[in-house]
Amino acid sequence: MILDALKTLIYVLIFPGFLFCFLTGLLLAGIDRKLVARMQKRVGPPILQPFYDFFKLCGKKTIVPAAANKTVFLIAPLLGLAALVVLQLFIPVFQFQIPAFANVADLIVILYLLLIPAVSIILGGASTGSPYAGIGLSREMVTVLACELPLVLVLLSVGRSVGMAIGAKEGITFSLSTIVRYQLESGSLICKASLIPAAIAFLLVIPGETGNHPFDAAEAETEICEGMLAEYSGAPLGVFKLSHAIKMLTMTSLFIMLFFGGIGTGIGNLVALIGLTGGAAAAVTMLLDVLVLFVLCVIVTAVGISFVHAVTARLKIEQIFKYYWTVVSALALLSLVLVWYGL
Amino acid sequence: MFKKLIEESTGKSPWLFHINAGSCNGCDIELVSVLTPRYDAERLGFKLAGSPRHADIVVVTGPITQQSLPRVLRSIEQVPDPKCIVTMGSCPQSGNVFRGSYSVAGPLSKYVHVDVDVAGCTPKPEAVIDGLYLATQILQEKRKGMKK
Amino acid sequence: MSHINLLYLLDPLHFPIFSIMLYFLGAFCIVLFGKNRIVRNCIAFVATGLSLTLLCLLIKPIMIQNAILPYWMGYRVPAGGYAIGIALEVDALSLFFGLLIATAVFVSCLYSFSYMSEDDNEPQYYTLFLMLAGGVMGLVLSGDLFNMFIMVEILTFAAVALTAFRNRVTGALEAAFKYLVVGCIGSTCILAGTIILYQQAHTLNLAQLATIIPLCKGTNISIAFALLFIGFCTKAFIVPFHPLAADAHGAAPAPVSVLISGVLTKSGIYGIIRLAYFLFQTMNLGTMQFWLVFLGSVSMFVCVTMALAQHDFKRLLAFHSISQIGYVLTAIGLATALGASAGLYHAMNHTLFKGLLFLTAGAVLHETGTTDLGKLGGLSKKMPHTTVLFLIGAASISGIPPFNGFASKWLIYQATYEKAAETGNIGFAFVTIVALVTSTLTLASFVKVTQSVFFGQLPKECENAKEVSFGMRFAMGILAVLCTITGLFPNMVQQYLTGPAAKTLFHVSRYINAMMGSGYAESTMGASAPEAATRTIETVGVWNPVNWLMLLMIALLAICIVAIASKYDAVRENKSEKVEAKYSLFYGGEDTVFSQVGGGDLFWGFKHNWRHYFSFMHDLHSGIVNDYSLWAVIALALAMVYALIVL
Repeated sequence: MILDALKTLIYVLIFPGFLFCFLTGLLLAGIDRKLVARMQKRVGPPILQPFYDFFKLCGKKTIVPAAANKTVFLIAPLLGLAALVVLQLFIPVFQFQIPAFANVADLIVILYLLLIPAVSIILGGASTGSPYAGIGLSREMVTVLACELPLVLVLLSVGRSVGMAIGAKEGITFSLSTIVRYQLESGSLICKASLIPAAIAFLLVIPGETGNHPFDAAEAETEICEGMLAEYSGAPLGVFKLSHAIKMLTMTSLFIMLFFGGIGTGIGNLVALIGLTGGAAAAVTMLLDVLVLFVLCVIVTAVGISFVHAVTARLKIEQIFKYYWTVVSALALLSLVLVWYGL
Repeated sequence: MFKKLIEESTGKSPWLFHINAGSCNGCDIELVSVLTPRYDAERLGFKLAGSPRHADIVVVTGPITQQSLPRVLRSIEQVPDPKCIVTMGSCPQSGNVFRGSYSVAGPLSKYVHVDVDVAGCTPKPEAVIDGLYLATQILQEKRKGMKK
Repeated sequence: MSHINLLYLLDPLHFPIFSIMLYFLGAFCIVLFGKNRIVRNCIAFVATGLSLTLLCLLIKPIMIQNAILPYWMGYRVPAGGYAIGIALEVDALSLFFGLLIATAVFVSCLYSFSYMSEDDNEPQYYTLFLMLAGGVMGLVLSGDLFNMFIMVEILTFAAVALTAFRNRVTGALEAAFKYLVVGCIGSTCILAGTIILYQQAHTLNLAQLATIIPLCKGTNISIAFALLFIGFCTKAFIVPFHPLAADAHGAAPAPVSVLISGVLTKSGIYGIIRLAYFLFQTMNLGTMQFWLVFLGSVSMFVCVTMALAQHDFKRLLAFHSISQIGYVLTAIGLATALGASAGLYHAMNHTLFKGLLFLTAGAVLHETGTTDLGKLGGLSKKMPHTTVLFLIGAASISGIPPFNGFASKWLIYQATYEKAAETGNIGFAFVTIVALVTSTLTLASFVKVTQSVFFGQLPKECENAKEVSFGMRFAMGILAVLCTITGLFPNMVQQYLTGPAAKTLFHVSRYINAMMGSGYAESTMGASAPEAATRTIETVGVWNPVNWLMLLMIALLAICIVAIASKYDAVRENKSEKVEAKYSLFYGGEDTVFSQVGGGDLFWGFKHNWRHYFSFMHDLHSGIVNDYSLWAVIALALAMVYALIVL
């Protein structure tokens, strides 16, 4: 009982909870900034720059505007961060799925848990009373709406595809662990022709969902003073920046688990060749898996976020909406139809 | 707990907020050029912030006209501590060619404590980077001096 | 002797009729003795509270022990194979709706005590209020088609009168008139359908009708079905009738809105379920499932987009109300055990969160005198408790975990997608997509309300607003707590409330036998008795709100501990009376100016892309009662044609 509680604490606080999210998320954000800089022929900030930014913000004073609702103003960033960290617990790292959490949330739940950070930033922004925040939250909400349709289509196609393949009684599955286990046995989902459009659609959704350039109309610092964050200062601002970095990790690792699951284990199994067994082997396997996951996350970030950032200019909000509901949704829909007709 | 980490980081991640107080736009362009690939101030962690609430360093350009004075002061007030004020170009320091005009209220040091002056009309980007770097040092000192 | 009688009355058998009679008795007493405020409130409180208690006492025998309580008034039990007496029949489905209604009425009554205290004609208000409650309660507990019609009449007229209760408010009379006209069309349809059925089957008892009608197919039966169906649709405000709801909710006082949305629409849904599952037993037909699911999905989507275009708090809520009813209808139309359970669960949640939201809207109206989103703002500082309650309601309706709206919507997504996989019909998959996207659109419009009513800047006109009285907050608090509990323990709700109710839908012969004597269904209908196999309610996915909440709490606690350990106390706020420059909002350096971003056209990025759709909808909703009557007639005609083809 106590051991279980301790285990849960370790999961939430260290891996794959807080510490892991904090380190890898910010590292991912740093790599993204560096990559963008290199693509623009700049030297760019050090890779640890997001860490410096975060700690600097923690050291600044927090000014609560007189017009703001103080409670909401201070709680909103914490809620968003906590929800994201908890969400990360449900995403398996290749074969490593925390058994106690496997039956807490499925894919559809994760879709809605992803809304909580967006809602918390919207609430926080609205609570300040700033008109910039008003404009910002309107755009953020429309961006969320825009991403929702393709994301729904992608998740439904994956659920149906795996459900049919494993011959589930209901013909569908929404369990992430089932999807990952299926990929361990039958190869990554990306190898399925019918799911390739879905994978591309998901890749295109990632920058929109995380609010990265060119889909960052909600936080456009040059036109609406970073929108909902306009009145935030000090540590709460740092927490929002941290949430943004962790969201990049969440989206990329979700993408990898959905479409590239099964690759990491192959490398993990090499451990057996060296002659390690038992607990040590498991530990090394997990470490290797985490490493592989992180490398894959970096690759996905480089392709899906940094590259798009470096070559495009910011879109207007109605263009974002149109783009997601036409181009990206059409791709995802194609996948759904292909899956349903058994291809 | 994180005191040292915070002090270390304060010098490495200065975010700028730029106020144009009646400038001729020369300095403004030059400030932006500091962030271009050629000079790339981002390698030192510099970043332009959209709102004074996010800023560490306030860069003021222009001779502080009567009209802009209250706005400049308000915006500087809204920057959370620790903060650093940098004047860029000769105008906010002396009034430059606008000195003595009925509509100029400068220099800025009459109203607030200015930490760094970067002189020149306009200052070279190298000088600006140098001045901003100096400001980050001051920022770090200020953070150390802040009572816990 | 009297001692024995008293004990006899405490038999649970009598509870259903008491719970109906209490409302009518209360209404009657208030007319007689209602001049005094305390007496009046006491009567209303006792009537609504006792009625709720009696129904709660029935949970054990009906929901858990799975009994069905038939009740024959004056012991006129069926003789010679014909049920002539007036009957009540309470199965799990009736009790489920009865509980919803009693809860909503009780809370709404508590709220009314302080909310309506400044109105004139309070006795009339409570009389009508209790009449409405009694009408709906009678409708759901009745075992007799004609009594259902009578109750529909009572509740329609009470609702019309209550809509026009604040007739000094602009539009109240107009709304009531519209409601009267279309509501009467609906009632007439129900009466006509009842007459046709009586002519065909020579009985009005629901159980007996259910044995006769499925056997005799024909033009008359199809037309009767269409008439009854459209009649109950007008009560539930399913899509062609949705403009009425908007007008009625906009004009009615908040507690009445709770009744119209939480109780009256439920009566329509209940009628449709009784009709499709019991009386006609048509739900095994794919065409009939398509009909319900199609209507439900259209209601869901059309009303949520209509809500996005609104700039009045209560009208917006009204459209959302129908949008959520669309979810219920869709889920029920799937004709699977999971779908039925999910639909009933959502019906319950709809009553709870919609009631909560209407009450918060009422609180805002009470304090500021307006519900126009453009004129409100920044109330969170003046009304902090109302804001928290509103946020709980908004999170519930938008399906944010862990509140109840998410639990039931999640089941609906599963149910529709499972149905799609089961039948291999991709159409149901699109229903899932519509449901998922509608949920996010709902969130969008509640973000709009949050921003433009509770957050943002406080306009001058609202500066006198203050927190509402304790009585009102208490009533809202009950609903908020219920919203959270039913969201956190979905398994309990399914086991004790929605599960038993959903299972009754597939055991029609039990319902018939309980009323007409065991073996009746088998002997009359023979081999064709549609006895469902024992259906189990299973979900594909997993969702464990309590565990999730615990993890979230651990995470929040961890952040707080880190913050405290690092001695984070750097918050600075305005201490002095006057707002210093440092704490005022950033406007590019300007002095603080009033620039509230109102809700009028907040999501233009979305609406711009849908502008043709929105302008079409705008033209369609002319607000003229003639048009709406025409819609009703067209809907009836379409329903008849469809019923003639498929039944």
